[in-house]
Amino acid sequence: MSKSTLRILSLIFGLTLAGNAYAADAVKFVHIRSVYADGQGVALNHPEGVACGPASTVVVADTENGRLVLFAVSAEAVTGGSPIKLSQVPYPVRVHTCSNGDILVLDGKLRRVFRVNSAGAFLGAVEPKGVPKGNVVLKSFALDREDWIYFLDIFSRRVLLTDPTGNYQREIPFPEKFGFFSDLAVDARGTIFLLDSVQGSLYAAEKGGEAFTLLTKDLREYASFPTYLTTDGRGTVYVVDQDGGGVLVLGQDGSYRGRQLAMGWKEGLLYYPAQMCISGGEMAVFADRENNRVQLYRILR
Amino acid sequence: MRSGRKQGMRWRYATGILLVTWCVLVFLICSPGQGRSEDKHKLKTGAKGELCLKCHEDFRDKLRKRFLHTPVAKRECTGCHDPHTSNHRKLLGTDPGRVCYTCHNGIVPKGARSEHRVVTEGKCGSCHDPHSADHKNNLLKGGNELCFGCHEQTRKSLAGLKHPHVPVNQDCLRCHNPHASAKGASLLKADVPGLCKGCHNTNVKAFSSLHANYPVSNSLCTSCHNPHGSNKEAILYDQVHQPVAKRLCAQCHQPPDAKDALKIRREGYELCRGCHSEMVNVTMGKNRVHGPLLSREGCLTCHRPHASSAKALLIGTTQQVCGKCHVDTAGRHDRSETKHKPIQEGDCSACHDPHAGNSSFLVNKASVMEMCTACHDWQKHSSHPIGEKAKDPRNPNATVQCLSCHRSHGTEYKHMIPFATTTNLCVQCHEQYKR
Repeated sequence: MSKSTLRILSLIFGLTLAGNAYAADAVKFVHIRSVYADGQGVALNHPEGVACGPASTVVVADTENGRLVLFAVSAEAVTGGSPIKLSQVPYPVRVHTCSNGDILVLDGKLRRVFRVNSAGAFLGAVEPKGVPKGNVVLKSFALDREDWIYFLDIFSRRVLLTDPTGNYQREIPFPEKFGFFSDLAVDARGTIFLLDSVQGSLYAAEKGGEAFTLLTKDLREYASFPTYLTTDGRGTVYVVDQDGGGVLVLGQDGSYRGRQLAMGWKEGLLYYPAQMCISGGEMAVFADRENNRVQLYRILR
Repeated sequence: MRSGRKQGMRWRYATGILLVTWCVLVFLICSPGQGRSEDKHKLKTGAKGELCLKCHEDFRDKLRKRFLHTPVAKRECTGCHDPHTSNHRKLLGTDPGRVCYTCHNGIVPKGARSEHRVVTEGKCGSCHDPHSADHKNNLLKGGNELCFGCHEQTRKSLAGLKHPHVPVNQDCLRCHNPHASAKGASLLKADVPGLCKGCHNTNVKAFSSLHANYPVSNSLCTSCHNPHGSNKEAILYDQVHQPVAKRLCAQCHQPPDAKDALKIRREGYELCRGCHSEMVNVTMGKNRVHGPLLSREGCLTCHRPHASSAKALLIGTTQQVCGKCHVDTAGRHDRSETKHKPIQEGDCSACHDPHAGNSSFLVNKASVMEMCTACHDWQKHSSHPIGEKAKDPRNPNATVQCLSCHRSHGTEYKHMIPFATTTNLCVQCHEQYKR
């Protein structure tokens, strides 16, 4: 076999591998069901937050109703719908669940994070404690696998890292030039992703990293207003396009892998969606804010 | 000994001549206007331009103008045009947007901080006549008139000003570079205040006393002064923040004799709260606060602290301010076939509270219906059931309201509906009529 034949064969082999890798990343969302009310039939009202819990639970921040609603998801069926109304949390906008089932909720009006247990008992505020300097104004937060908390501080332009109880560990400053950071997410490897809605840019800082680096600045090509961010356990990053009613699927390096869903009122369509979460890597849940519902999709790969 | 020295000199002399000849040859071969066309077409004497005038007789009028483009003066039409064929209009030798750069390739300095858009787009003909003109540098018009051809808004804003900035009336090029600037934004020849200090001496006592003894000689002059002139004394912008007008700088800054005199007393909206407490308290009491207001820039994300040409000390028109971040929404309306009047008039606050609101989109009314009916009488618009009692068949949690059929910032279709035809819209709910 000549050298050139070998080169051609290795090129074909390489391209085939690359193609397979891409195919493996292709994602499609298929609508399973839409949830309109809690277990007692009280309609959801502009829900902005959803969190996929460890035991196939879905916590909804039912924002305009000023409450949380807990659902159980089993074999794509949604049951439960227990409401948790807390005077300390008048306007829940974002939620995440800890590994022990506790719920952390960001109140949009108070701009504080609170801890609630899975039975609905209020456990107090989770403030970043011992922050060396600067005012803290929270826009969003995220949790990693060890329940460490990552606070998006839009006042002092940084991401604050605290232990699960809120004790300050370290901080990562925002990149030098930016528009407005609206959300952050942490993947299974501990990489922190930071989303600039105005510039349409996605930044990342590796676990232990001290600075954010730009992954992509092209999101505005595919999204009207990329606003919410989440990751799954497979290295895929999902960016919710709030104004465009859809979701961008990105690789861990920020590469564009596709866009799913569209704007509308019928089931399966989104109308100004907010937070999304991934349950078990196989189901995506959206707070479909302006449709006053939560929507569940099967993720096909 | 002497003959050896002579021989050495001869060698050096011959080498010198050879080097000069080589340089001349290289220049002739590489010179874009000359060697290229000569080599390509092997043109006879005069065929590079003089010959062209035999047919293009009307061109002789152009040759009588005061300023001629060098290739025209040299009768080298082939410097820009191909005498036989071309893929470009007017038989230009290369892309019309790039042809000038064949010779003028240094017009935009490397790493320029600002570039004139027409230059970047290669539209040199917007300002220059490629052949001849009555104005220096082959400009189509003389003085500021040329600039005002495009910058009409600037002309209007300058008309009848009580306090014009003298250099502006003399020549825009006193402060701006026409093509690009390596040193300043907005094509400025240098950054402010360096540019201003070229004429204004900041080392005199009067400068200090006029600025309430604050050390502002290195501050941004254009934070308070309109460089094009204004109707206010000292060419302050037309809208001046009260503490600035009263020279009460210490309301926001440290005292003038302090070490960090220009440092502000508080950061973010907390600084503004000192005077605007009622407004800030109402804003912070609402469910949703506009994100940028909570950042370190706070109010200054949209407002200027000292003075502005725009109302409410905004950093620009409402369209510019809101459109700076909400590019998609502003763009959607720009592309929309049907325009929404408040947006067209730049009045975003007709529907939105830019600071905070109790419902989504920071709308300034309790419901969509209440907001739209402030201007539109829907009962005259349609007999379609609408309101709290009319359930949207597409979604049990939705009622039929204006946004069920329209998008307030427009769509690519008429009447701001999200579907190409009215039929397509109606059958979204009335599926039985779908064909």
